[in-house]
Amino acid sequence: MSTQAPDQKVPLEAMQRQEPRRTRSRAAKRWAKLPVHLLIALLLVVVLYPLLWLVLGSFKTQQEFLNDPVWSLPGSFNFDNYVEAWTTGNLAVFVANSLMATLPSLALIIVFGVAAGFALEVMVWKGRNGVLLIFLTGIMVPGQMILLPLFSAYFNTGLTGTLWPLIITYTATGLPLTVFMMATYFRAVPREVFEASTLDGASIIRSFISIGFPMVRNAVFTVALVQFFFIWNDLLIALTFANNSDLSTIQVGLLNFTGQFGTVQYGPLFAAICLNVFGTLAIYLFLNQRIMKGLAAGSVKG
Amino acid sequence: MATTRNKNRMLFLGVGLSTVSLLLTGCGAGSSNDGGGESEAGEFTTLSVVENTTIPAVLETLAGDQCKTAADAMPLKVDTVPQTSLDQQLQLQAGQGALPAQFAAGSAPALTKELADSGNVLDLEATLNDLGVIDQVEPAAIDTVKALYGGFNVLPYEYNVEGIWYNKQLFADNNIEVPATWDDFTAAAETLNSSGVTPLSASGEQGWPLTRLISGYLFSDLGKDALQKVADGEAKLTDPEYVEAAAAVADLGSKGYFGEGIGSIDYDTAVNQFLTGEAGMLYMGSWVLANFNDEAANQIGAENIGFMPFPKVDGGAGIDNQYAANVGLPMAISEKAYNDQTGEWLSCITENYGSVGLAEKGAISGFKVNEEVDVDPLTQTVQDTIADTSESVLWFEALFGTQATTASQTNAAPLVTGSMSPEQFMDTVQSALK
Amino acid sequence: MQSVLGDKKALIILLGPALLVYTLVMLVPIIWSMGYTFFSGNAISGFTFAGTDNFTRLFTDPEVRTALSFTVRYAIVITIGQILMGYALALMYVFILKKSSNIIRTLVFFPVVLPTVAVALLFQKMFEIAPQNGLVNSLLNGVGVESVDWFGSSSSSFWVIVLMDIWRSMGFYAVLLYAGLVDIPEDMLESARLDGATGWRLIKNIVLPLSMPVLLSSIIFSINGTLKVFDSIVALTNGGPGSSTTPLTLYMFRTSFAFGDYGYGSSIALLLTLLCLIVTIFIFRSSRRDLTKD
Repeated sequence: MSTQAPDQKVPLEAMQRQEPRRTRSRAAKRWAKLPVHLLIALLLVVVLYPLLWLVLGSFKTQQEFLNDPVWSLPGSFNFDNYVEAWTTGNLAVFVANSLMATLPSLALIIVFGVAAGFALEVMVWKGRNGVLLIFLTGIMVPGQMILLPLFSAYFNTGLTGTLWPLIITYTATGLPLTVFMMATYFRAVPREVFEASTLDGASIIRSFISIGFPMVRNAVFTVALVQFFFIWNDLLIALTFANNSDLSTIQVGLLNFTGQFGTVQYGPLFAAICLNVFGTLAIYLFLNQRIMKGLAAGSVKG
Repeated sequence: MATTRNKNRMLFLGVGLSTVSLLLTGCGAGSSNDGGGESEAGEFTTLSVVENTTIPAVLETLAGDQCKTAADAMPLKVDTVPQTSLDQQLQLQAGQGALPAQFAAGSAPALTKELADSGNVLDLEATLNDLGVIDQVEPAAIDTVKALYGGFNVLPYEYNVEGIWYNKQLFADNNIEVPATWDDFTAAAETLNSSGVTPLSASGEQGWPLTRLISGYLFSDLGKDALQKVADGEAKLTDPEYVEAAAAVADLGSKGYFGEGIGSIDYDTAVNQFLTGEAGMLYMGSWVLANFNDEAANQIGAENIGFMPFPKVDGGAGIDNQYAANVGLPMAISEKAYNDQTGEWLSCITENYGSVGLAEKGAISGFKVNEEVDVDPLTQTVQDTIADTSESVLWFEALFGTQATTASQTNAAPLVTGSMSPEQFMDTVQSALK
Repeated sequence: MQSVLGDKKALIILLGPALLVYTLVMLVPIIWSMGYTFFSGNAISGFTFAGTDNFTRLFTDPEVRTALSFTVRYAIVITIGQILMGYALALMYVFILKKSSNIIRTLVFFPVVLPTVAVALLFQKMFEIAPQNGLVNSLLNGVGVESVDWFGSSSSSFWVIVLMDIWRSMGFYAVLLYAGLVDIPEDMLESARLDGATGWRLIKNIVLPLSMPVLLSSIIFSINGTLKVFDSIVALTNGGPGSSTTPLTLYMFRTSFAFGDYGYGSSIALLLTLLCLIVTIFIFRSSRRDLTKD
């Protein structure tokens, strides 16, 4: 994480340019930075302590959960909870389901959404504001509203019992925000860029692929990130359409650790959450690198 | 610039390609599951809840042993959904006429009644008579089912009696006799409280352990049909004699008998308080035996736990030895999906579930136990109680719709913390009754 | 050139798939459900025509009033909190941390990755009073303040929800706004600095107006997300104590699927949709005016 100096071109350059105009001594500057450091330290404690608690919790027994204070350390570090979570929790299947539902929807959302955002913002045609507004309504309608009609539609088309209802629903519910955000980002791209390229004789689709898409690449990664976590953490749609245990996503799977009368197996639940969180984290770190690279590349564009 | 553009094109191509490959993955995932979805007709599909692991396990045992013939003709397939989405799934699947052969009853009996009215639920009284196995179900369980569901519509896979569990040691230390009347009960609570023990452990987060006390008081004071009258509209919860019960329970709260933070105490915490000796009494159903028999959790020892009926309200019209009974997670059989093979399953389950469930999982069900099974002393206590009890009562929300059930259980904690008055509480529940 | 930018075939290729999927999977079901607002009943026992009964009920139902007031209070407080915290963090990333922002940004984003169920459990444990004090009450006791039953009253549970949702989403908004801030051309900042603009003035006169588009999307996005809050409340308080923290979405979900009145549930959803629509159009309009003024 800390060894990606090349990604940081912009801020570095900015700093170097500022440097000569600073007149205060280095020591004074260090003192001035103290409140900032304290603030950052506090921020990190607030953000990281719960994660630490989560990891510690995954090693505790049920009795330790119920009888010891929240901050106490687990009595021993063994992986019983993890074994329990992985075997009885059926986690491997859930992770596979989550991936198979999330990734295709994500790809579709990006391809469809970016193209539509381009068509709505860059292209000139009658009624585009109307269509943009129609997409905007999609952001406002509560998801609970489309469940019943969709359930009967999926049932009658024979899609129930597969992951398709999830993929289709995620794609559709992800589109409004993506289209809207992409349109906003395309608005910031100077129109002349596209006008020039079309004057060169390039077709509009060609200029979308070779100029438009690359120019909003940062935005694409941001939107992809946003959508990924929406879909990955969704509970409502997954509960409704993935209605048997073979199709459960990881979020629904986490509910498995709650017993019939409200009992919770804390240890295995926490172990399952840890596995889930750190898996997702790996994906995030990977995506984060891509965003950084995108940002760096984007900064050279001017 | 040229290289940048190339990279960009590569990136775009990459996204496109991964889309295609992912679509294929999705496709593969879809088609491999198609078989399961389509061939439901030939399987004994059972829709249960993930929270319950006992019933599916015992059914699997039966499928491999006693019910092998039925299972060969019609293999068992258990699907599970979380309890929170069970009602929604039943609504959605019934709306498509697609309920599985056997399904867990929704959280309120009203939903099962509605399903029965629309021809989705098999009448078990008639069917079990035809199959000649009706005598394999405990009569007490059939009565409870009828009182709850308006007919013998669901199979009693679980049968629980509820009463008050008490810590014998703490009672002896404080010279408390097992309280027979409500006044003895509050006196006992006061004694425990003044000796620094939480008198009653209850989960306000769940709500129902508190409303059970209200209904216990009502049944004891006004008689067994107290809440039937409310359901029929002959009485209102806002009538003074009904509000008195809520006030009696609110009073326990205002005297601090539930300890601190009642609203955030969850089920485990409540049971744990009792099992660590922090609390003297616990109102709970017989399903809690699993926790009592867990030696790591039970620090007071199984031999120190006693079980008593709900204390009698002075001059009340209720029955003696009042225990509430319920059928836990019962299951209905779909009328639309019923056929001969389902019938074979049904008679086999009725004949064998009782003894296999008890032997395998220590589960007390509403089916008769046909074989001698060794059980632990506490389970024996419960079985004896069931045998000795001719009449039982229901619980507060038993005859309410989902809306009133939610209103009652979510407002129980505010009632005992005093942020809601007994009148307000009863009024809220009454208006949710429609 | 205009004709190329208005090429119909290209338009169909680019816009077609999104519009088709969106129409079939969202618009049609939405309109379908809207139709149910004139009916009562559910998919099991069938629907019966109810005229405008559902709407009159909507205006007299005290539960709707509680849920609506909770939803609006929640949305306003959380949106302000999320955007302010997110913007402050984003400014910190860009102007103070600079080089080291990457690692901090990643760390602050952590909570977004946590499943709702886990976050809710965490906050329940941190604010618990029984069986033993959680972290917060222990800290209070440390400074001589009595323990508080946080989930016992509606106002304190409201603030726990607020705290939880801002905690878990501030990193997200920070990244979102950060992406907008880095897009501000460095030469514009530089020329402003040469003009002597620093600190607060630089932010107010240059950074804020230039990050307006992304700030605007964030606000619209945040307010629409918070008005439709569901998962985090279900997991943390499940609407309690009583129904004092029940948002419209949860009331709608219970009405439709647990109470079995899909028609009335759809009416509640319609109310919520209209609320989102009005708020969004309001923000959109006022900001558009701002943008054109610059």
